[in-house]
Amino acid sequence: MSSAELTPEATRRPFTGRRVRFGDLVLQVVAGTAAAAATVLVGLITWKVVDGAWPAITHYGVRFVTRVAWNPVVGHELYGAGSFLFGTAVTSLLALAIAAPLSIGIALYLTELAPRFLRGPVTALVETLAAIPSVVIGLWGILVLGPVLRDHVEPGLHSALGFIPLFGAPSTSGSSMFTAIIVLTIMILPIVSSISRELFLGVPSELKEGALALGTTRWEMVRGVMFPYARGGIAAALILGLGRAVGEAIAVTQVIGGGVFIHWNLFDSGDTLASKIAASYQGATSKLQVGSLIYLALILLVFSLVMNLAAQWIVRRVARRQGLGART
Amino acid sequence: MQHVHLPRRRRVNRLMEGLAMLAALIAVGMLVIVVWSVAKRGAGAINLDLITKNPVPFSFEPVAQGLANAFVGSLVLVGLATLMALPVGILVAVYLNEFAPPSVRTFVGLVLDVLNGVPAIVIGIFVFGLVVIGRGQSGWAGAFALACLMLPLVARSTIEVLALVPSSLREASLALGVARWRTTLSIVLPQTIGGVLTGTVLAVARVSGETAPLLFTSSIVGTQTSWSPFHALQSVPVAIFELSESPDPQDHARAWAAALVLLLFILFTSLAARWLATRSRRKLAASR
Amino acid sequence: MPKSGSFTRTVLAVAAAAILAVVASGTAGAAPAKHSGTTLSGAGSSFVSPLVSQWIPAVGSAFGYELQYSPIGSGGGIAAITSRTVDFGASDAPLTPDQFTACKGCVQIPWALSATSIIYNVSGVKNLLHMDGPTLAKIFMGQITDWNDPAIQSLNKGVNLPSEKIAIVHRSDNSGATYNFTDYLSTVSPAWKSQLGVGVAVNWPVGSGQRGSAGVAAGVSQTPGGIGYVDVAFALKNHLKFFAMKNRSGKFATPGLKGILAAASSDQKPTAGTNELSIVNPPKKFALAYPISTYTYVIAPTSSPKAQELRKFLFWAVTKGQTFGPKLLFQPIPKSVLVVAEKAITQIKS
Repeated sequence: MSSAELTPEATRRPFTGRRVRFGDLVLQVVAGTAAAAATVLVGLITWKVVDGAWPAITHYGVRFVTRVAWNPVVGHELYGAGSFLFGTAVTSLLALAIAAPLSIGIALYLTELAPRFLRGPVTALVETLAAIPSVVIGLWGILVLGPVLRDHVEPGLHSALGFIPLFGAPSTSGSSMFTAIIVLTIMILPIVSSISRELFLGVPSELKEGALALGTTRWEMVRGVMFPYARGGIAAALILGLGRAVGEAIAVTQVIGGGVFIHWNLFDSGDTLASKIAASYQGATSKLQVGSLIYLALILLVFSLVMNLAAQWIVRRVARRQGLGART
Repeated sequence: MQHVHLPRRRRVNRLMEGLAMLAALIAVGMLVIVVWSVAKRGAGAINLDLITKNPVPFSFEPVAQGLANAFVGSLVLVGLATLMALPVGILVAVYLNEFAPPSVRTFVGLVLDVLNGVPAIVIGIFVFGLVVIGRGQSGWAGAFALACLMLPLVARSTIEVLALVPSSLREASLALGVARWRTTLSIVLPQTIGGVLTGTVLAVARVSGETAPLLFTSSIVGTQTSWSPFHALQSVPVAIFELSESPDPQDHARAWAAALVLLLFILFTSLAARWLATRSRRKLAASR
Repeated sequence: MPKSGSFTRTVLAVAAAAILAVVASGTAGAAPAKHSGTTLSGAGSSFVSPLVSQWIPAVGSAFGYELQYSPIGSGGGIAAITSRTVDFGASDAPLTPDQFTACKGCVQIPWALSATSIIYNVSGVKNLLHMDGPTLAKIFMGQITDWNDPAIQSLNKGVNLPSEKIAIVHRSDNSGATYNFTDYLSTVSPAWKSQLGVGVAVNWPVGSGQRGSAGVAAGVSQTPGGIGYVDVAFALKNHLKFFAMKNRSGKFATPGLKGILAAASSDQKPTAGTNELSIVNPPKKFALAYPISTYTYVIAPTSSPKAQELRKFLFWAVTKGQTFGPKLLFQPIPKSVLVVAEKAITQIKS
């Protein structure tokens, strides 16, 4: 739509048309360049990561992804992502398993149960949790949470549930996968709960009131109306929360202890993809070691992309079905 | 017929309501515990030295020191990052909203969402490989890494606010003969200032606490305060990270104090953003 | 046209200016950056960082240079100087031939001498418990798991060792202290040598990893039953207990200046070209030697835009700078090594 069509002056002052179009062109080019730059940036990031990982990709191929090894000793170098994939999977999935019911519970409480005067403040409180930087949560994890878990919680869990291999010998230093799981739960919680809350708020009240009018209890209404309605959005929220946990490097590296093994004992130390990169990148010397660390970053990047796109796709599918605007 | 099961159904309902309330209590409890830890330990250690004195590494006797270089460095890094990300973010939003055909809009929107999902540590590795290798760390590299994190946030919130500007405003302006570019710059954009500010302030809050990208781009630093981004600058989150791993209780005290200041800053900016958002939304709604 | 947001903008601008003013005035009190002189940035070994920290103000007042040093571990130092992201690197682990090649024209110079102490956190016992190499190797391989194990008890007759679990803390980053420690363990334990070897990082079978000497010191001091390895300056600063190690002559030596000096006497001739020295587990005749002593090196490019400043700084470091060492348990480098070091420094050219 060119302004020349709308401007009656174009017929009276033909040269104005050309001047006007030039300014439009400039803005379009400048703004378009910015958009192109953003696209190029994403491409550049992907390219640089693949390029950096290339020595390890050509050396190890795809077997790197499953190999459980990380031996940096010169002459015996052998690297693999297996134990870090395990660490990432265990910590993120268990953190999500704990955070999901808590987040949905809070969202329900804030939308259905809480007295009106509490809703605003408590919502703000939970969203404040999202604003706490990960390094501060890590600091708290090292100095406050770790010792409490080491001295009280882990021995207690071990004596009560020690027959389950997950709850083996308590950690001696407070740094363990269990501490990392708690820290990640704290980070996932606000994301999933704020999205769930908005989803629940968006459930049409006619549907809710209709169910209640039919004589259902509030829980039955939630289970029969709100959950099915918000199902897609909650799935997307969970995936986003998972993505956050998978990508978290700093808080996890502060509390997880660092180790290259696959242990089922949650109280053992371990490492995730992100925390291994944070711990080892500065000191990596050989080309193969640097390449392997960036290979870990590549796997991490692929994970995050897949989860991000999956969440988007779910939201779009749900939105199409419900005729809403896409909202993540 | 339902009356037979009603007592059980009521019990289940009460159980679920109780569980929901328990969940809320646990979440709020976690928040309170973390914030209380930071507040209590930080407040005990906060003093003017923290922002007026520089660190003194490895002293055998306790000596008055602080994190002045980190606070100055964070100011410079976040300030430069904002200067880099803000214009680009606004321009991207303008392009998507005013010029782009729908297919390009979806595509670039996707690109922005992908950029938002890239973990901060991968951005750190990217900027390290791009700028730091061979040239050394610098405040510019650190600011650029932070800008990459801010861009999608600024762009997205600007897009949302631009979409809220009624097209009648644009059409009226164009009908009066005002050029497209001037319409956008002088009429449409000023309407969005509140939303843009909100998005920027939120992005600043998010990025002030980022550690991972700065570890790779601006962490080999001296102990003197410096305003020059041509050398690596210390930053508050990196300082907290390093102090958190130290065995010295004095270092821990300084870490708590810095964490408290950082937390207060982020809380203040988030609240400011929310207030701005409500205000601009009210204004836009009124102008419709 | 509505005056949108002009009031908001003003308020925010004033607030921002106010905050800037407060911070600027506050930090004006802090010593401003001396950008009159040059900045020399270095990174690497946390082992040598206590000594370098003492050098920073001294170099500032002697030459006006601003010395910046980041203790990111020896591996980090090698990586940083190889990619020229710093002016000099510091490492306790000597460069391998491959690393020399990758560094593209670097010279390695021994510039400090100290020891790695084995720290422990056991309740109810005194400082300077006895320990020997083979037992230490077994502990770090996970074969000895309790403090009151007969092997440890037999070295410490008369001491009441508790039945605490041994909690191993090692370095998670590429560390010269790890290199020194594993170098020692490889000489005293054939099992260690074949299974784990020597390196700036190894495949630790047990224990939790911490970053930097500070991290290990923190880990051990906060973990009951902890054991770890850290340069002796860190142990001193944080009041950590460390072992007296049995040397080859059968005596138990402490990581003090005498023990380090005796160990240094076992190798006085740096290898030609790489200038490296190895003084772990010295032969029997050095009866006072502490067996886990080590030199630490500075790695500088032979061609640097700051060659003149680097040479000045390094000459000072290996001569005047050594006087800052003894109170941190850094033994001044012996004359024979000093001569080689000074010669190597002249290789740094513009």
